[in-house]
Amino acid sequence: MSVDKDHAATIASLARLRFDDDELTKITAELNQVLSHVETLKGLEVDDIPHDEDPLEGEGDATRGEAADTPDALRRDLDELAPDALDGFFVVPPLPGMHAEEAD
Amino acid sequence: MSSGDGLAAARAAVAAIQDLESGPEALNAFLAVADVDELTLLNADGPLAGVPLAVKDNIATLDLDTTCGSKVLEGYRSPFEATVVRRAREAGAVVVGKTNMDEFAMGSSTENSAYGPVLNPHDRTRVPGGSSGGSAAAVAAGLVTMAFGSDTGGSVRQPAALCGVVGMKPTYGRVSRYGLVAYASSLDQVGTFGRSVADSARLMDVIAGHDDRDATSARRLVPDLEAAAGRGVEGLVVGLPKEYVSRLLDDDMRASINTAVDALRDAGAQIHEVSLPHAKHAIPCYYVIAPAEAASNLSRYDGVRYGVRRPGDDLVSMYEATRSAGLGPEVKLRIMLGTYVLSAGYYDEYYGTAQRARRLITEDFGRVFAAGVDVILTPTTPGPAFELGERTDDPLEMYLSDVFTVPANIAGIPGISVPIGRVRGLPVGAQILAPWWQEERMVAGAGALEAAFGVGGA
Repeated sequence: MSVDKDHAATIASLARLRFDDDELTKITAELNQVLSHVETLKGLEVDDIPHDEDPLEGEGDATRGEAADTPDALRRDLDELAPDALDGFFVVPPLPGMHAEEAD
Repeated sequence: MSSGDGLAAARAAVAAIQDLESGPEALNAFLAVADVDELTLLNADGPLAGVPLAVKDNIATLDLDTTCGSKVLEGYRSPFEATVVRRAREAGAVVVGKTNMDEFAMGSSTENSAYGPVLNPHDRTRVPGGSSGGSAAAVAAGLVTMAFGSDTGGSVRQPAALCGVVGMKPTYGRVSRYGLVAYASSLDQVGTFGRSVADSARLMDVIAGHDDRDATSARRLVPDLEAAAGRGVEGLVVGLPKEYVSRLLDDDMRASINTAVDALRDAGAQIHEVSLPHAKHAIPCYYVIAPAEAASNLSRYDGVRYGVRRPGDDLVSMYEATRSAGLGPEVKLRIMLGTYVLSAGYYDEYYGTAQRARRLITEDFGRVFAAGVDVILTPTTPGPAFELGERTDDPLEMYLSDVFTVPANIAGIPGISVPIGRVRGLPVGAQILAPWWQEERMVAGAGALEAAFGVGGA
Protein backbone atom coordinates (compact mmCIF):
# COMPACT_ATOMS: atom_id res chain seq x y z
CA MET A 1 0.00 0.00 0.00
CA SER A 2 1.53 3.28 -0.95
CA VAL A 3 0.28 6.77 -0.28
CA ASP A 4 0.28 9.40 -3.05
CA LYS A 5 0.50 13.15 -2.51
CA ASP A 6 -3.24 13.68 -2.78
CA HIS A 7 -3.90 11.08 -0.13
CA ALA A 8 -1.17 12.61 2.06
CA ALA A 9 -2.87 15.99 1.69
CA THR A 10 -6.14 14.46 2.89
CA ILE A 11 -4.39 12.93 5.91
CA ALA A 12 -2.75 16.29 6.64
CA SER A 13 -6.16 17.93 6.60
CA LEU A 14 -7.49 15.33 9.06
CA ALA A 15 -4.45 15.93 11.27
CA ARG A 16 -4.87 19.72 11.10
CA LEU A 17 -1.45 20.13 9.51
CA ARG A 18 -0.53 22.22 6.49
CA PHE A 19 2.38 21.53 4.13
CA ASP A 20 3.65 23.37 1.10
CA ASP A 21 4.29 21.33 -2.04
CA ASP A 22 7.93 20.51 -1.27
CA GLU A 23 7.12 19.51 2.29
CA LEU A 24 4.26 17.34 1.06
CA THR A 25 6.55 15.56 -1.40
CA LYS A 26 9.08 14.88 1.36
CA ILE A 27 6.60 13.69 3.98
CA THR A 28 4.83 11.47 1.44
CA ALA A 29 8.13 9.73 0.71
CA GLU A 30 8.87 9.32 4.42
CA LEU A 31 5.37 8.00 5.11
CA ASN A 32 5.79 5.40 2.39
CA GLN A 33 9.22 4.41 3.69
CA VAL A 34 7.88 3.76 7.19
CA LEU A 35 4.69 2.10 5.92
CA SER A 36 6.69 -0.28 3.75
CA HIS A 37 8.57 -1.38 6.88
CA VAL A 38 5.26 -1.74 8.74
CA GLU A 39 4.01 -3.98 5.91
CA THR A 40 6.31 -6.73 7.22
CA LEU A 41 3.68 -7.29 9.92
CA LYS A 42 1.40 -8.69 7.26
CA GLY A 43 3.37 -11.94 7.21
CA LEU A 44 2.21 -12.66 10.76
CA GLU A 45 -0.49 -15.23 11.32
CA VAL A 46 -2.71 -13.08 13.46
CA ASP A 47 -6.20 -13.82 12.18
CA ASP A 48 -7.27 -15.73 15.26
CA ILE A 49 -5.90 -13.18 17.70
CA PRO A 50 -8.42 -10.64 18.92
CA HIS A 51 -7.10 -7.11 18.50
CA ASP A 52 -9.58 -5.28 20.70
CA GLU A 53 -8.51 -6.87 23.95
CA ASP A 54 -6.56 -4.83 26.41
CA PRO A 55 -2.98 -5.58 25.33
CA LEU A 56 -1.84 -5.16 28.92
CA GLU A 57 -4.29 -7.68 30.29
CA GLY A 58 -3.00 -10.88 31.84
CA GLU A 59 0.48 -11.13 33.26
CA GLY A 60 1.33 -7.55 32.58
CA ASP A 61 -1.93 -6.17 33.90
CA ALA A 62 -1.27 -2.94 35.69
CA THR A 63 -4.62 -2.16 37.16
CA ARG A 64 -6.71 -5.22 37.68
CA GLY A 65 -4.34 -7.57 39.50
CA GLU A 66 -4.43 -7.22 43.24
CA ALA A 67 -6.86 -4.35 43.09
CA ALA A 68 -9.46 -6.77 41.71
CA ASP A 69 -9.60 -8.43 45.12
CA THR A 70 -11.45 -5.40 46.44
CA PRO A 71 -14.95 -5.02 45.01
CA ASP A 72 -15.57 -1.76 43.21
CA ALA A 73 -17.85 0.31 45.41
CA LEU A 74 -19.76 1.48 42.35
CA ARG A 75 -20.34 -1.99 40.97
CA ARG A 76 -23.98 -3.16 41.02
CA ASP A 77 -25.24 -6.65 40.47
CA LEU A 78 -26.93 -6.88 37.07
CA ASP A 79 -29.95 -8.59 38.67
CA GLU A 80 -30.39 -5.59 40.89
CA LEU A 81 -30.61 -3.23 37.93
CA ALA A 82 -32.84 -5.47 35.77
CA PRO A 83 -34.62 -8.01 37.93
CA ASP A 84 -37.08 -9.22 35.28
CA ALA A 85 -37.70 -9.33 31.56
CA LEU A 86 -40.95 -9.20 29.56
CA ASP A 87 -41.45 -9.38 25.81
CA GLY A 88 -37.77 -8.85 25.15
CA PHE A 89 -37.53 -5.76 27.37
CA PHE A 90 -36.12 -5.34 30.85
CA VAL A 91 -38.75 -4.76 33.52
CA VAL A 92 -37.25 -2.24 35.90
CA PRO A 93 -38.49 -1.30 39.34
CA PRO A 94 -40.88 1.68 39.23
CA LEU A 95 -39.47 5.04 40.19
CA PRO A 96 -40.48 6.29 43.63
CA GLY A 97 -43.94 7.83 43.53
CA MET A 98 -44.83 6.12 40.25
CA HIS A 99 -47.34 3.29 40.34
CA ALA A 100 -46.48 0.21 38.35
CA GLU A 101 -49.97 0.25 36.77
CA GLU A 102 -49.53 3.80 35.51
CA ALA A 103 -46.18 2.96 34.03
CA ASP A 104 -47.85 0.46 31.71
CA MET B 1 25.66 17.29 55.09
CA SER B 2 28.43 19.66 54.16
CA SER B 3 26.25 22.76 54.36
CA GLY B 4 24.04 23.95 57.16
CA ASP B 5 20.97 24.17 54.95
CA GLY B 6 21.53 21.02 52.90
CA LEU B 7 21.57 22.88 49.59
CA ALA B 8 25.32 22.91 49.01
CA ALA B 9 25.32 20.08 46.47
CA ALA B 10 22.42 21.60 44.53
CA ARG B 11 24.08 25.04 44.48
CA ALA B 12 27.27 23.46 43.23
CA ALA B 13 25.29 21.62 40.55
CA VAL B 14 23.62 24.83 39.33
CA ALA B 15 27.01 26.56 39.19
CA ALA B 16 28.55 23.61 37.31
CA ILE B 17 25.69 23.54 34.80
CA GLN B 18 25.93 27.28 34.17
CA ASP B 19 29.69 27.08 33.88
CA LEU B 20 29.75 24.17 31.43
CA GLU B 21 26.77 25.26 29.33
CA SER B 22 28.08 28.80 28.82
CA GLY B 23 31.54 27.65 27.72
CA PRO B 24 33.13 26.05 24.66
CA GLU B 25 32.39 22.54 25.91
CA ALA B 26 28.63 23.16 26.22
CA LEU B 27 26.44 20.07 25.86
CA ASN B 28 23.06 21.85 25.44
CA ALA B 29 21.73 19.34 27.96
CA PHE B 30 19.50 21.83 29.80
CA LEU B 31 16.51 23.86 28.61
CA ALA B 32 16.03 25.55 31.98
CA VAL B 33 18.22 25.88 35.06
CA ALA B 34 16.83 26.70 38.49
CA ASP B 35 17.62 30.07 40.07
CA VAL B 36 20.19 29.35 42.74
CA ASP B 37 18.30 31.56 45.21
CA GLU B 38 15.07 29.65 44.70
CA LEU B 39 16.36 26.13 45.28
CA THR B 40 14.18 24.40 47.83
CA LEU B 41 14.84 21.47 50.12
CA LEU B 42 11.59 20.02 51.42
CA ASN B 43 13.11 17.21 53.46
CA ALA B 44 16.56 17.35 55.02
CA ASP B 45 16.29 13.78 56.33
CA GLY B 46 14.79 11.95 53.35
CA PRO B 47 16.49 9.26 51.28
CA LEU B 48 17.37 11.85 48.61
CA ALA B 49 18.21 14.72 51.00
CA GLY B 50 20.06 17.43 49.10
CA VAL B 51 20.54 15.33 45.94
CA PRO B 52 20.69 17.49 42.77
CA LEU B 53 18.06 16.16 40.38
CA ALA B 54 17.51 16.96 36.69
CA VAL B 55 14.05 16.49 35.20
CA LYS B 56 13.29 15.75 31.56
CA ASP B 57 11.34 18.60 30.05
CA ASN B 58 8.20 16.54 29.39
CA ILE B 59 7.64 16.11 33.13
CA ALA B 60 5.63 18.92 34.71
CA THR B 61 7.27 21.20 37.27
CA LEU B 62 5.73 24.21 39.00
CA ASP B 63 8.82 26.38 39.13
CA LEU B 64 10.32 25.78 35.66
CA ASP B 65 8.80 25.73 32.16
CA THR B 66 7.76 22.43 30.57
CA THR B 67 8.30 22.68 26.81
CA CYS B 68 8.79 19.02 25.78
CA GLY B 69 11.55 20.31 23.50
CA SER B 70 8.87 21.88 21.29
CA LYS B 71 8.24 25.39 20.01
CA VAL B 72 4.52 24.81 20.43
CA LEU B 73 5.00 24.80 24.23
CA GLU B 74 7.61 27.57 24.38
CA GLY B 75 7.17 29.38 27.68
CA TYR B 76 4.55 26.95 28.97
CA ARG B 77 4.36 26.76 32.76
CA SER B 78 2.34 23.86 34.18
CA PRO B 79 -0.23 24.72 36.87
CA PHE B 80 0.51 21.42 38.61
CA GLU B 81 3.49 19.20 39.30
CA ALA B 82 4.09 15.60 38.22
CA THR B 83 3.70 12.99 40.95
CA VAL B 84 7.27 11.74 40.38
CA VAL B 85 8.65 15.25 40.91
CA ARG B 86 6.54 15.77 44.02
CA ARG B 87 7.65 12.44 45.49
CA ALA B 88 11.31 13.15 44.73
CA ARG B 89 11.06 16.58 46.36
CA GLU B 90 9.32 15.09 49.39
CA ALA B 91 12.23 12.65 49.67
CA GLY B 92 14.65 15.59 49.75
CA ALA B 93 15.74 15.89 46.11
CA VAL B 94 16.44 19.39 44.79
CA VAL B 95 15.36 20.05 41.21
CA VAL B 96 18.19 21.96 39.52
CA GLY B 97 16.97 22.04 35.92
CA LYS B 98 14.92 20.71 33.04
CA THR B 99 16.72 18.66 30.41
CA ASN B 100 16.71 18.85 26.64
CA MET B 101 14.98 16.10 24.68
CA ASP B 102 13.67 15.05 21.30
CA GLU B 103 10.46 16.98 20.70
CA PHE B 104 7.63 15.24 22.59
CA ALA B 105 10.04 12.33 23.19
CA MET B 106 9.97 11.35 19.52
CA GLY B 107 13.51 10.44 18.57
CA SER B 108 16.58 8.39 19.37
CA SER B 109 19.33 11.02 19.24
CA THR B 110 17.95 14.24 20.82
CA GLU B 111 18.51 15.87 17.41
CA ASN B 112 14.74 16.44 17.10
CA SER B 113 14.70 19.06 19.85
CA ALA B 114 13.45 22.45 18.69
CA TYR B 115 16.19 23.92 20.87
CA GLY B 116 19.15 22.21 19.18
CA PRO B 117 20.79 18.81 19.71
CA VAL B 118 22.47 17.60 22.88
CA LEU B 119 26.09 16.52 22.51
CA ASN B 120 27.53 13.32 23.95
CA PRO B 121 29.93 14.23 26.78
CA HIS B 122 32.25 11.36 25.75
CA ASP B 123 32.59 12.71 22.19
CA ARG B 124 30.97 15.99 21.27
CA THR B 125 30.72 15.04 17.59
CA ARG B 126 28.29 12.28 18.54
CA VAL B 127 24.71 12.03 19.77
CA PRO B 128 23.87 11.17 23.38
CA GLY B 129 21.00 8.94 22.27
CA GLY B 130 17.43 9.85 22.93
CA SER B 131 14.89 10.89 23.56
CA SER B 132 16.07 11.60 27.14
CA GLY B 133 19.51 12.66 25.83
CA GLY B 134 19.77 15.74 28.04
CA SER B 135 19.20 13.74 31.22
CA ALA B 136 21.69 11.03 30.23
CA ALA B 137 24.34 13.60 29.24
CA ALA B 138 23.81 15.60 32.45
CA VAL B 139 24.44 12.52 34.61
CA ALA B 140 27.36 11.34 32.44
CA ALA B 141 29.04 14.76 32.66
CA GLY B 142 28.73 14.69 36.44
CA LEU B 143 26.44 17.75 36.49
CA VAL B 144 23.73 16.00 38.52
CA THR B 145 23.60 12.84 40.60
CA MET B 146 20.29 11.57 39.28
CA ALA B 147 17.79 12.44 36.58
CA PHE B 148 14.33 11.61 35.36
CA GLY B 149 13.63 10.51 31.81
CA SER B 150 10.68 8.96 30.07
CA ASP B 151 10.81 5.67 28.20
CA THR B 152 8.24 4.94 25.48
CA GLY B 153 10.44 2.78 23.23
CA GLY B 154 13.82 2.90 24.95
CA SER B 155 14.22 6.62 25.61
CA VAL B 156 15.86 6.06 29.00
CA ARG B 157 17.82 2.84 28.38
CA GLN B 158 19.22 3.77 24.95
CA PRO B 159 20.74 7.17 25.94
CA ALA B 160 21.97 5.62 29.21
CA ALA B 161 23.92 3.07 27.16
CA LEU B 162 25.34 5.65 24.74
CA CYS B 163 26.40 7.97 27.59
CA GLY B 164 27.82 5.30 29.91
CA VAL B 165 25.32 5.66 32.76
CA VAL B 166 22.58 3.50 34.28
CA GLY B 167 19.00 3.93 33.06
CA MET B 168 15.95 2.03 34.24
CA LYS B 169 12.40 1.64 32.91
CA PRO B 170 10.00 0.05 35.38
CA THR B 171 7.06 -2.24 34.66
CA TYR B 172 4.19 -0.38 32.99
CA GLY B 173 2.06 0.80 35.91
CA ARG B 174 4.83 0.80 38.52
CA VAL B 175 5.21 4.58 38.40
CA SER B 176 2.57 7.30 38.08
CA ARG B 177 2.34 9.06 34.73
CA TYR B 178 0.49 12.01 36.28
CA GLY B 179 2.27 15.09 34.98
CA LEU B 180 4.22 13.20 32.31
CA VAL B 181 3.17 14.81 29.03
CA ALA B 182 1.57 12.01 27.03
CA TYR B 183 3.20 10.67 23.87
CA ALA B 184 1.92 7.06 23.63
CA SER B 185 -0.03 6.38 26.79
CA SER B 186 0.02 2.58 26.66
CA LEU B 187 3.83 2.59 26.36
CA ASP B 188 5.03 5.63 28.35
CA GLN B 189 6.75 5.18 31.72
CA VAL B 190 8.96 7.51 33.74
CA GLY B 191 12.46 6.09 34.17
CA THR B 192 15.49 6.98 36.28
CA PHE B 193 19.12 7.72 35.49
CA GLY B 194 22.06 7.43 37.88
CA ARG B 195 25.81 7.11 37.71
CA SER B 196 25.45 3.80 39.55
CA VAL B 197 22.83 1.08 39.73
CA ALA B 198 22.18 1.99 43.38
CA ASP B 199 21.55 5.67 42.52
CA SER B 200 19.14 4.81 39.73
CA ALA B 201 17.40 2.31 42.05
CA ARG B 202 17.14 4.72 44.96
CA LEU B 203 15.34 7.29 42.82
CA MET B 204 13.02 4.56 41.48
CA ASP B 205 12.26 3.41 45.04
CA VAL B 206 11.11 6.92 45.90
CA ILE B 207 8.74 7.38 42.94
CA ALA B 208 7.30 3.85 42.60
CA GLY B 209 3.83 2.97 43.80
CA HIS B 210 0.16 3.67 43.23
CA ASP B 211 -1.08 7.19 42.66
CA ASP B 212 -4.77 8.08 42.80
CA ARG B 213 -4.16 10.54 39.97
CA ASP B 214 -3.11 7.83 37.49
CA ALA B 215 -5.61 5.01 37.05
CA THR B 216 -2.96 2.90 35.27
CA SER B 217 -0.62 2.98 38.26
CA ALA B 218 -0.75 -0.32 40.09
CA ARG B 219 -1.69 -1.08 43.67
CA ARG B 220 1.34 -3.21 44.31
CA LEU B 221 3.90 -3.43 47.04
CA VAL B 222 7.01 -1.48 46.10
CA PRO B 223 10.24 -3.50 46.27
CA ASP B 224 13.50 -2.24 47.77
CA LEU B 225 15.51 -1.95 44.56
CA GLU B 226 18.50 -0.24 46.13
CA ALA B 227 18.99 -3.26 48.37
CA ALA B 228 18.56 -5.58 45.38
CA ALA B 229 21.50 -3.89 43.63
CA GLY B 230 23.92 -5.69 45.95
CA ARG B 231 22.11 -9.01 46.12
CA GLY B 232 24.24 -10.88 43.57
CA VAL B 233 23.18 -13.34 40.88
CA GLU B 234 24.00 -16.74 42.38
CA GLY B 235 21.62 -19.20 40.75
CA LEU B 236 19.89 -16.53 38.64
CA VAL B 237 18.75 -18.01 35.31
CA VAL B 238 19.69 -15.60 32.51
CA GLY B 239 18.15 -16.01 29.07
CA LEU B 240 20.09 -14.92 26.00
CA PRO B 241 17.74 -14.42 23.03
CA LYS B 242 19.39 -15.88 19.95
CA GLU B 243 17.44 -13.50 17.70
CA TYR B 244 18.91 -10.44 19.43
CA VAL B 245 22.53 -11.44 19.35
CA SER B 246 22.58 -12.60 15.77
CA ARG B 247 20.96 -9.53 14.29
CA LEU B 248 22.34 -6.07 13.69
CA LEU B 249 25.40 -6.56 15.86
CA ASP B 250 28.88 -5.95 14.54
CA ASP B 251 31.78 -8.06 15.80
CA ASP B 252 32.91 -5.52 18.41
CA MET B 253 29.43 -5.28 19.88
CA ARG B 254 29.07 -9.06 19.92
CA ALA B 255 32.41 -9.39 21.72
CA SER B 256 31.27 -6.79 24.23
CA ILE B 257 28.00 -8.54 25.07
CA ASN B 258 29.92 -11.81 25.39
CA THR B 259 32.06 -10.24 28.12
CA ALA B 260 28.82 -9.39 29.98
CA VAL B 261 27.64 -12.98 29.62
CA ASP B 262 30.95 -14.22 31.00
CA ALA B 263 30.77 -11.77 33.91
CA LEU B 264 27.32 -12.96 34.92
CA ARG B 265 28.37 -16.62 34.60
CA ASP B 266 31.45 -15.95 36.74
CA ALA B 267 29.20 -14.34 39.36
CA GLY B 268 27.12 -17.51 39.62
CA ALA B 269 24.34 -17.04 37.07
CA GLN B 270 23.21 -19.79 34.71
CA ILE B 271 23.09 -18.80 31.06
CA HIS B 272 20.55 -20.31 28.68
CA GLU B 273 19.77 -19.52 25.08
CA VAL B 274 16.13 -18.54 24.61
CA SER B 275 13.97 -17.62 21.64
CA LEU B 276 11.76 -14.56 21.17
CA PRO B 277 10.56 -15.28 17.61
CA HIS B 278 8.25 -12.28 17.33
CA ALA B 279 10.68 -9.68 18.68
CA LYS B 280 11.64 -8.78 15.11
CA HIS B 281 8.14 -7.37 14.66
CA ALA B 282 8.51 -4.96 17.57
CA ILE B 283 9.73 -1.96 15.54
CA PRO B 284 6.96 -2.09 12.87
CA CYS B 285 4.43 -2.77 15.63
CA TYR B 286 5.71 0.21 17.62
CA TYR B 287 5.60 2.53 14.61
CA VAL B 288 1.90 1.86 14.22
CA ILE B 289 0.80 1.92 17.87
CA ALA B 290 2.92 4.82 19.12
CA PRO B 291 2.04 7.23 16.26
CA ALA B 292 -1.64 6.24 16.54
CA GLU B 293 -1.66 7.17 20.22
CA ALA B 294 0.46 10.25 19.53
CA ALA B 295 -1.88 11.53 16.82
CA SER B 296 -4.64 11.51 19.41
CA ASN B 297 -2.60 12.78 22.36
CA LEU B 298 -1.04 15.66 20.41
CA SER B 299 -4.33 16.90 18.97
CA ARG B 300 -4.53 19.13 22.04
CA TYR B 301 -1.74 21.38 20.72
CA ASP B 302 -3.99 23.52 18.57
CA GLY B 303 -3.28 27.01 19.84
CA VAL B 304 -6.33 27.12 22.07
CA ARG B 305 -5.11 26.07 25.49
CA TYR B 306 -1.34 25.71 25.44
CA GLY B 307 1.72 27.60 24.29
CA VAL B 308 1.93 29.54 21.07
CA ARG B 309 -0.91 30.51 18.72
CA ARG B 310 -0.63 31.56 15.08
CA PRO B 311 -3.55 33.57 13.68
CA GLY B 312 -5.78 32.22 10.91
CA ASP B 313 -8.83 33.33 8.97
CA ASP B 314 -11.07 30.91 10.81
CA LEU B 315 -10.79 28.32 13.56
CA VAL B 316 -9.47 25.48 11.39
CA SER B 317 -6.88 27.65 9.68
CA MET B 318 -5.76 28.87 13.12
CA TYR B 319 -5.32 25.23 14.21
CA GLU B 320 -3.38 24.41 11.06
CA ALA B 321 -1.19 27.51 11.22
CA THR B 322 -0.38 26.93 14.89
CA ARG B 323 0.41 23.25 14.51
CA SER B 324 2.39 23.70 11.29
CA ALA B 325 4.54 26.43 12.83
CA GLY B 326 4.83 24.95 16.31
CA LEU B 327 5.55 21.28 15.64
CA GLY B 328 8.78 19.89 14.16
CA PRO B 329 9.22 17.52 11.19
CA GLU B 330 9.47 14.23 13.13
CA VAL B 331 6.41 15.04 15.23
CA LYS B 332 4.47 15.89 12.07
CA LEU B 333 5.58 12.63 10.43
CA ARG B 334 4.37 10.59 13.40
CA ILE B 335 1.07 12.48 13.57
CA MET B 336 0.59 11.81 9.85
CA LEU B 337 1.43 8.12 10.34
CA GLY B 338 -0.95 7.82 13.27
CA THR B 339 -3.76 9.63 11.48
CA TYR B 340 -3.28 7.37 8.46
CA VAL B 341 -3.27 4.05 10.34
CA LEU B 342 -6.39 5.05 12.27
CA SER B 343 -8.31 6.33 9.24
CA ALA B 344 -11.34 4.54 7.84
CA GLY B 345 -10.35 1.67 5.59
CA TYR B 346 -6.86 1.29 7.06
CA TYR B 347 -7.60 0.83 10.74
CA ASP B 348 -7.76 -2.96 10.82
CA GLU B 349 -5.04 -3.40 8.22
CA TYR B 350 -2.52 -1.46 10.28
CA TYR B 351 -3.69 -0.74 13.82
CA GLY B 352 -5.57 -4.02 14.27
CA THR B 353 -2.64 -6.03 12.94
CA ALA B 354 -0.20 -4.17 15.17
CA GLN B 355 -2.31 -4.84 18.25
CA ARG B 356 -2.32 -8.53 17.40
CA ALA B 357 1.44 -8.45 16.88
CA ARG B 358 1.71 -6.79 20.28
CA ARG B 359 -0.04 -9.77 21.79
CA LEU B 360 2.41 -12.21 20.13
CA ILE B 361 5.47 -10.22 21.25
CA THR B 362 4.12 -10.12 24.81
CA GLU B 363 3.37 -13.84 24.80
CA ASP B 364 6.96 -14.58 23.74
CA PHE B 365 8.22 -12.97 26.93
CA GLY B 366 5.57 -14.70 29.03
CA ARG B 367 6.57 -18.08 27.61
CA VAL B 368 10.28 -17.57 28.28
CA PHE B 369 9.73 -16.37 31.85
CA ALA B 370 7.21 -19.15 32.56
CA ALA B 371 9.83 -21.68 31.48
CA GLY B 372 11.99 -20.64 34.43
CA VAL B 373 14.12 -17.86 32.99
CA ASP B 374 14.57 -15.13 35.62
CA VAL B 375 15.89 -12.32 33.42
CA ILE B 376 16.82 -11.76 29.78
CA LEU B 377 20.16 -10.23 28.75
CA THR B 378 20.57 -8.27 25.51
CA PRO B 379 22.73 -5.47 24.18
CA THR B 380 20.97 -2.15 24.83
CA THR B 381 21.85 -0.81 21.37
CA PRO B 382 23.23 -2.26 18.13
CA GLY B 383 26.38 -0.14 18.53
CA PRO B 384 27.92 2.86 20.31
CA ALA B 385 26.86 6.49 19.82
CA PHE B 386 26.62 7.54 16.18
CA GLU B 387 27.70 10.89 14.75
CA LEU B 388 25.48 13.95 14.79
CA GLY B 389 23.56 14.12 11.52
CA GLU B 390 24.45 10.55 10.55
CA ARG B 391 20.85 9.29 10.64
CA THR B 392 18.71 12.42 10.46
CA ASP B 393 17.82 11.94 6.78
CA ASP B 394 16.66 8.37 7.20
CA PRO B 395 13.82 7.93 9.71
CA LEU B 396 13.86 4.14 9.43
CA GLU B 397 17.56 3.85 10.21
CA MET B 398 17.02 6.10 13.23
CA TYR B 399 14.09 3.94 14.39
CA LEU B 400 16.29 0.84 14.29
CA SER B 401 18.51 2.38 17.01
CA ASP B 402 15.82 1.18 19.42
CA VAL B 403 15.48 -2.35 18.08
CA PHE B 404 16.53 -3.97 21.38
CA THR B 405 14.65 -1.65 23.72
CA VAL B 406 11.21 -1.36 22.06
CA PRO B 407 10.00 -4.92 22.83
CA ALA B 408 9.95 -4.21 26.59
CA ASN B 409 7.59 -1.26 26.07
CA ILE B 410 5.38 -3.31 23.76
CA ALA B 411 5.09 -6.00 26.47
CA GLY B 412 5.12 -3.63 29.47
CA ILE B 413 8.02 -5.42 31.18
CA PRO B 414 10.81 -3.60 33.05
CA GLY B 415 14.34 -3.12 31.73
CA ILE B 416 17.63 -1.58 32.83
CA SER B 417 20.74 -0.58 30.91
CA VAL B 418 24.10 -0.77 32.65
CA PRO B 419 27.53 0.17 31.22
CA ILE B 420 29.73 -2.77 30.18
CA GLY B 421 32.83 -1.00 28.93
CA ARG B 422 33.63 0.53 25.58
CA VAL B 423 33.42 -0.27 21.90
CA ARG B 424 35.75 1.76 19.64
CA GLY B 425 36.39 4.05 22.61
CA LEU B 426 32.73 4.81 23.31
CA PRO B 427 30.49 3.50 26.10
CA VAL B 428 28.00 0.70 25.45
CA GLY B 429 25.47 -0.97 27.68
CA ALA B 430 23.88 -4.30 28.42
CA GLN B 431 20.14 -4.44 28.91
CA ILE B 432 18.53 -6.74 31.46
CA LEU B 433 14.80 -7.40 31.12
CA ALA B 434 12.70 -8.92 33.89
CA PRO B 435 9.16 -10.28 34.15
CA TRP B 436 6.32 -7.93 35.07
CA TRP B 437 6.78 -6.53 38.62
CA GLN B 438 10.14 -8.32 39.11
CA GLU B 439 12.44 -5.28 38.89
CA GLU B 440 14.52 -6.62 41.79
CA ARG B 441 15.92 -9.39 39.58
CA MET B 442 17.08 -7.06 36.84
CA VAL B 443 18.60 -4.66 39.36
CA ALA B 444 20.48 -7.56 40.97
CA GLY B 445 21.79 -8.53 37.53
CA ALA B 446 22.77 -4.95 36.77
CA GLY B 447 24.53 -4.74 40.13
CA ALA B 448 26.57 -7.83 39.27
CA LEU B 449 27.59 -6.35 35.90
CA GLU B 450 28.53 -3.08 37.60
CA ALA B 451 30.66 -5.00 40.09
CA ALA B 452 32.45 -6.67 37.17
CA PHE B 453 32.90 -3.65 34.89
CA GLY B 454 33.04 -0.81 37.42
CA VAL B 455 30.71 2.19 37.78
CA GLY B 456 30.36 3.76 34.34
CA GLY B 457 31.86 0.63 32.76
CA ALA B 458 35.28 2.20 33.06
